[in-house]
Amino acid sequence: MGKPTGFLEHTRELPSKRPARERLNDFKEFVEKYPEPKLNQQSARCMNCGIPFCHSGCPLGNVIPEFNDAVFRQSWQEAYDILSSTNNFPEFTGRICPAPCESACVLGINQPPVAIEEIEKHIIEIAFDKGFVKAREPKVRTGKKVAVIGSGPAGLAAAAQLNYAGHLVTVFERDDAAGGLLRYGIPDFKLEKWVIDRRIKLMEEEGIVFKCNANVGVDIRINDLLREYHSIVLAGGSTIPRNLDIPGRELKGVHFAMEFLTQQNKRVSNKTVNGDDILATGKNVVVIGGGDTGSDCVGTSNRHGAASVTQFELLPKPPNERTAIMPWPTYPMVLK
Amino acid sequence: MYSPEFERDACGIGFVANIKGNKSHQNVSDALTVLENMAHRGACGCESNTGDGAGLMIQTPHEFFFDECIKLGVHLPSFGKYGVGVIFFPREIRLREECRDIFNRSAEKLGLEILVYRKVPVNTEGIGFTALSVEPEMEQVFIACPDHITNPDDFERKLFILRNYASHTINNTVRKDQIGFYVASLSYKTVVYKGQLTSNQVRNYFPDLNNKRVVSAFGLVHSRFATNTFPSWKLAQPFRFIAHNGEINTLQGNINWLKTSEKGFISQFFSKEEMELLLPIVTQGQSDSACLDNIIELLALSGRSLPHVMMMLIPEAWDGNEQMPPLKKAFYEYHACLMEPWDGPASISFTDGKIIGATLDRNGLRPSRYCVTSDDRVIMASETGVLPVDPAMIIEKGRLQPGKMFVVDMEQGRIISDDEIKQTICSQKPYSEWLNKYKIRLEELPEPRVLFTHLEHDQIFKYQKAFGYSTEDLDTIIAPMAIDGKEPIGSMGTDIPLAVLSDQPQHLTSYFKQLFAQVTNPPIDPIRERLVMSLATFAGNNGNLLEEDPLASHCVALQHPVLTNHELEKIRSIDTGIFQAKTLQTYFRADNKEGSLQKALARLCRYAVDAVEDGFEVLILSDRAIDSDHAPIPSLLAVSAVHHHLIRKGLRGQVGLVVEAGDVWEVHHFACLIAFGATAINPYLAISSIRDMKLNGKMQTNQDTEELKKNYIKAVCDGLLKVFSKMGISTLQSYQGAQIFEIIGLHKDVVDRYFTGAISRIEGMGLDEIARETLAKHYFAFSQKDVPSDRLTVGGIYQWKRKGEFHLFNPQTIHLLQYSTRTNDYNTFKKYSKLVNDQGEKAVTLRSLFSFKHNRPSISIDEVEPAENIYKRFASGAMSFGSISWEAHTTLAIAMNRLGGKSNTGEGGEDPVRYVRLENGDYMRSAIKQVASARFGVTSQYLTEADELQIKMAQGAKPGEGGQLPGHKVDDWIGRTRHSTPGVGLISPPPHHDIYSIEDLAQLIFDLKNANRDARINVKLVSKAGVGTIAAGVAKAKADVILISGFDGGTGASPVSSIKHAGLPWELGLAESHQTLVKNKLRSRVVLQADGQMKTGRDIAVATLLGAEEWGVATAALVVEGCIMMRKCHLNTCPVGVATQDTELRKRFTGDADHVVNFFKFITQEFREIMAELGYRTVEEMVGQVDGLELRENINHWKYKKLDLAPILYKEPAADSTGLYKMEEQDHGIEGVLDWKLLEAAQPAILNKQKVKAAFPIKNTDRTTGTILSNEITKKYKGEGLPDGTINYKLTGTAGQSFGAFNTKGVTLELEGDANDYFGKGLSGARLIVYPPKQASYVPEENILIGNTAFYGATAGESFIRGKAGERFGVRNSGARVVVEGVGDHGCEYMTGGLVVILGETGRNFAAGMSGGIAYVYDVRGRFSSMCNTEMVDLDPLDEEDVMELKQMLRKHFDYTGSTVAKFVLDDIENQTRNFIKVFPKDYKKVMAATRMAPLLK
Repeated sequence: MGKPTGFLEHTRELPSKRPARERLNDFKEFVEKYPEPKLNQQSARCMNCGIPFCHSGCPLGNVIPEFNDAVFRQSWQEAYDILSSTNNFPEFTGRICPAPCESACVLGINQPPVAIEEIEKHIIEIAFDKGFVKAREPKVRTGKKVAVIGSGPAGLAAAAQLNYAGHLVTVFERDDAAGGLLRYGIPDFKLEKWVIDRRIKLMEEEGIVFKCNANVGVDIRINDLLREYHSIVLAGGSTIPRNLDIPGRELKGVHFAMEFLTQQNKRVSNKTVNGDDILATGKNVVVIGGGDTGSDCVGTSNRHGAASVTQFELLPKPPNERTAIMPWPTYPMVLK
Repeated sequence: MYSPEFERDACGIGFVANIKGNKSHQNVSDALTVLENMAHRGACGCESNTGDGAGLMIQTPHEFFFDECIKLGVHLPSFGKYGVGVIFFPREIRLREECRDIFNRSAEKLGLEILVYRKVPVNTEGIGFTALSVEPEMEQVFIACPDHITNPDDFERKLFILRNYASHTINNTVRKDQIGFYVASLSYKTVVYKGQLTSNQVRNYFPDLNNKRVVSAFGLVHSRFATNTFPSWKLAQPFRFIAHNGEINTLQGNINWLKTSEKGFISQFFSKEEMELLLPIVTQGQSDSACLDNIIELLALSGRSLPHVMMMLIPEAWDGNEQMPPLKKAFYEYHACLMEPWDGPASISFTDGKIIGATLDRNGLRPSRYCVTSDDRVIMASETGVLPVDPAMIIEKGRLQPGKMFVVDMEQGRIISDDEIKQTICSQKPYSEWLNKYKIRLEELPEPRVLFTHLEHDQIFKYQKAFGYSTEDLDTIIAPMAIDGKEPIGSMGTDIPLAVLSDQPQHLTSYFKQLFAQVTNPPIDPIRERLVMSLATFAGNNGNLLEEDPLASHCVALQHPVLTNHELEKIRSIDTGIFQAKTLQTYFRADNKEGSLQKALARLCRYAVDAVEDGFEVLILSDRAIDSDHAPIPSLLAVSAVHHHLIRKGLRGQVGLVVEAGDVWEVHHFACLIAFGATAINPYLAISSIRDMKLNGKMQTNQDTEELKKNYIKAVCDGLLKVFSKMGISTLQSYQGAQIFEIIGLHKDVVDRYFTGAISRIEGMGLDEIARETLAKHYFAFSQKDVPSDRLTVGGIYQWKRKGEFHLFNPQTIHLLQYSTRTNDYNTFKKYSKLVNDQGEKAVTLRSLFSFKHNRPSISIDEVEPAENIYKRFASGAMSFGSISWEAHTTLAIAMNRLGGKSNTGEGGEDPVRYVRLENGDYMRSAIKQVASARFGVTSQYLTEADELQIKMAQGAKPGEGGQLPGHKVDDWIGRTRHSTPGVGLISPPPHHDIYSIEDLAQLIFDLKNANRDARINVKLVSKAGVGTIAAGVAKAKADVILISGFDGGTGASPVSSIKHAGLPWELGLAESHQTLVKNKLRSRVVLQADGQMKTGRDIAVATLLGAEEWGVATAALVVEGCIMMRKCHLNTCPVGVATQDTELRKRFTGDADHVVNFFKFITQEFREIMAELGYRTVEEMVGQVDGLELRENINHWKYKKLDLAPILYKEPAADSTGLYKMEEQDHGIEGVLDWKLLEAAQPAILNKQKVKAAFPIKNTDRTTGTILSNEITKKYKGEGLPDGTINYKLTGTAGQSFGAFNTKGVTLELEGDANDYFGKGLSGARLIVYPPKQASYVPEENILIGNTAFYGATAGESFIRGKAGERFGVRNSGARVVVEGVGDHGCEYMTGGLVVILGETGRNFAAGMSGGIAYVYDVRGRFSSMCNTEMVDLDPLDEEDVMELKQMLRKHFDYTGSTVAKFVLDDIENQTRNFIKVFPKDYKKVMAATRMAPLLK
């Protein structure tokens, strides 16, 4: 499988990123694709371990060594088949997953781990390019109807699996478009929205019905659902932010991240923004919270053209590398 | 768990005969002397005066019997007119008389008159209690020849009928006591005196034998060394026709084939009624040798000559032998159609009273030496020197060569050579004409009537699902086989559930574990010794065994058993007019109803019988026709059911069984099918899958589909050879139907009916469960719910997969184990051990089905013996420096030394650097030094620096197989440590070439004990059915420690099928061994150790309760050192520096001795907690208290709720005085050895390096000479030894085995006389000189001077032998420089260094596997190139340097031995140089060239 000595010959390399100066001018994704030989080299680094800790570290159980091997052999259809056997939406995870697989990668014990997430993204994008990703309707319909409430990643995945099992699935989304957090939580520079649209379209072709602007319990009566469907999947996310109850919280210009980020995502999608515009342009911005959402706010503020951005984090600065208390193969809290 | 069928024996045999047939009492007495001089080849049990059996066969001493009968008032008729039988009667008088009555009535029924019974006088003085407890009442019966029978041979046949008929009747009617009824011999020509005696007791026990009137032209003797110790007099030999030293590996198959053909026996010599009285020919409950004797008797008495019979049963390797004359080849090929070889190592002496002879198996695995004297005597025995003979009277000294025969015709009064006797026999009938006329060759068959079109991708996919293929099977098994033509390699053992405990649907063959040879017979090297192996087989009607019918050869001859689709269709279409094939469908209704599978099998068997009765010669069992309503019967079940049904109906011999199956793709699948009756197999789905993978870009290769298929078939064939060879079986024909497997997890009903006679000890699934498992796959393929994205199941057997098979070492357990030991955190360790130990409702190992029973009050942990006492009972696994890195190896050693436990060198030698303590007090020396088949670095110093010497008989990962260290792993350091050339690959042979039998093992134990008296000798065995019996034998061979390894352990690289399918869990082997040793009262003499995936304190506790007082841990310790189960050890790419020699990767090693110490402390702590809970204060108290275990309560799983583990939990009753753990020391018998005298004379040399010179007489019972002496020198002078020429000893006589073994520098032994096997074994620097007695009249270079396997594993020293040596000269020599005047087969096999000069002819297969060193062969007749295996060597002319070297060696040879050959060559060196060939290993040549170039390049 793969190349037994690949990990000795190549080191980890990630695709290049667009220059920061350029990125500031738009909301497009900034991670570029590997040139062809690089992708092959990176896949050759996989050691096809006797115990693939990556495969264990991946919450989806992606069969990572197998798809790395298929990529190494440039067997794209096979790579796609392997990847999609455990992952309904590799184009999402390939972009925004925190990649615990890479934390668990055996090569990571003493070397930089295999660039699994990037390889994953390449497999699915190549699969789309080559036309492998087609609507696959189930051969047999069970005649059972299922309602899925919420179209975030969980709702979409549930819908896809139930549909493959032959049930007729309807997805209810209270927002104006499907995708939940993917759609309105994650900035475009991390996940452009056409990626979601592409997937939703496929799912519709496979027979899933999406009902947007359908707020169950508000627009849609629960009893109607119970009558009409054999089963209901509750896959609603949480939109309740964590408040910071300190003096001045009520002042103008203090916003929850989601208000800020959602507005921007709608703006990028040319949709009407509800309420007043929250823009960082020319302002001195303070971001409280050092996690992924915080960094999304930083990126968005910079793209708005903020005069300055200052980020606060409650915890001490994490180390740059693993320490003894977060040994391999656990997911380490390190500075990113 | 003990069963008598597992018993094996081996022995010393011999005969003394007068060529002219002159009878004398001297011959009898001499034969007894021969017996007495082979006492060391026999054994005794727990008492020194109870032997395993010994005996003598002589011609009927008419004069003596005549006189004796007169005393009884009976006048015997003349010689030839009466028969004499030796009968063992029960001692209980009522039983005895009942037997006698039946015997008398039987005689009467056959019209035979009984003249008188004579009680055989015996003298029981000095006979052991155990033997006496079942001593039979021995009587001789005299039976008159009826007047109407004029031909004595006809009378002999009548006696044969009487014996069989009476024995069958008595055994079926009279109550059996421990003694039973047995006829030792019944003949007019010969009489047998034997019993459960030691070799030395026979003469005194039978006063008859001391009577001068007891005269015979020959005496044939046998001394037995058995694995069992249960008293049984009838197992002693000789039998009626033979004395057998060896083992029939294929016995079960041979008996089955015989059984199936019995019903068709027709012979002109026996009437139909007589034939019925004779059957069955082979009865149950006998030893393999006794069964062999039965069939020989039948064939010999039904008209074939005894040598003819021997050629049929133990044929030479004819298939593929280009040097064999066509006439002989035709003979063997014709007889192969009639009967499969009775395969196994064998040296057989045979006689019918008129001729006496001996033959050796094709591989020559037992020694046979003979000597012919000027007064017409022949002395033949397992050893030379067993009968003192005046050297001046010796005309010829020789040995029997592999496959050869030696016959003394006492009527003609001459010795008939192998060539002559075989020429005569082979010309009796026009065998080759018969073959030409009738044999059907596959290649010559017409094109088939129809051909299947290729299966398309979708169909293949569906079939793959239905037959249970996983992506792993395709990627890991089939694809590599198709691309590389080899079975894939894996490492690090296996940690998945046994098939019967797994939740994943299993292949039926996964319940079948391959058996393998260990101790009692050797495995074979199927690669380097390919010439003895054969895959040829025949499909068709076997005919009547008792007649020579040309039509018996009218069958399809196959070169190997794997058929392509095209070949199968040819067979399906076959029609020669009298030969046709019939296809039967093997499906059952997929209705999930009880009994559906059973119904289908009944139907299949019925159809099969119909087809045979309708006259078809080939049955094709096909599962191609499955559909959504019909599931395939697992092919193994289908074929075995039909096979056994036809055997029961007596029809099996009339047809060939061909299997067309989708569920056959791995080597193991093929092996199972063949072992349970298949003649040939068409793996259509595997072949289609290869094509499909190729078309879909799965194969990284440019080879086309046809090549890939060819490679795949080659991989299967090579794999099959490997599977046979690990059991020591050479031919497919013998393997077919031999059932060499143990079943784990099938119910008795299934086994008895469909796998009749196979070993299965713990019950398990019934037919309905098998059906359920099959239907799970069928449903997966054919269910309507077809999810669009669909892949095969992931497998997860060879690699951990989340949705695949469960592994005990998984991401969680590895993490917790590493984390806990690195942080020294016992609580985290407990989390790890809970994950391993507590399987909830599931089960992974047999031990996970047990729980502890609290049958004693718990105690405080403070009352349990301290941990420090327990640490010393731990050993880390045997892993070589070479397979793992220096860092990993020494870290483990340091840790074990800190604890007081023992680390193990593995088989790679040890760098003497490690014998010096480090400054901080740490010690890198491994307490256990392993002595494995390759003997890498096994020097006097290595042995001396040991606390324990471990003889590795087998290893868990690949029992019965050898190994290979690729050249790229042999760096300078490893090469030096192993005494080999860096960069040159190293091969470990499958067998120890000095252990082909149990008496050989006893010899090696003796050798090692001589080499280091303070070291314990440990014999490592792998768990298998019968290992307990072997352990008993090993205890009798005087081992101090016996290690029982589980199949699942083993870190070494090996073929994946071996890791998974060979050997058994240690729970079974350990329980069996402990029970058997206790039963034999041998347990208290040995330490019992267990290993194999031991991971936690609970594992240790279970092992202790099952009988182990010491334990080994390897894999888990490696994990602690950083191993993360890459399972890539064989690729040298270990990313954590554990199993690699790559300098960069070694830097990545992070293991620490502290972590390893923590680990053993944790295990011990957990173990002590269990001890406290169960109320044991000490380990000794706990050993073997198996009633402390019970079955877990929550075993409700449909698959394994029917398992019966009672045999494991059986507690062997033991008297209070019977020790349950090691309590007494073995008597190694080294007090009286010659070496003490040598040592005494050497004191000035050892004390002050003064030169000493002395002379001693020597005889064959003086074994392992010079070894204690060398051990003493090494103790003082380490590897350096003494200066050359310090000690000079002259010995005169015949040296026993292992002369000069491990002799070190400064010692010179000069032997005038001859020597036995293992001459110069492990030579470590000494000089050995041997030449024939000065007064001998024979030509030295034409006679055999030393025995087999000389200089095995020699590392340094030189030797000069004026005469020929036996087989396997210089095997694995890595440094000795020797001159010899001719060698037998397999010379210089696996040699890696040193120099061998051969001034004469060599046998076949010279230089097989030779990767280093040089041989100069004097090839005057120009025949050498045809005898040499040139796969790894070049044959070059000598260059100038070579000539210098040669001259130097020859000069020494002449000076030391007076060799006339050396003188002749030296005198004419200019011309004679041309007659020498330099055997130069190719790899060695490359490395040498590079080394020579290196300084030039600088």
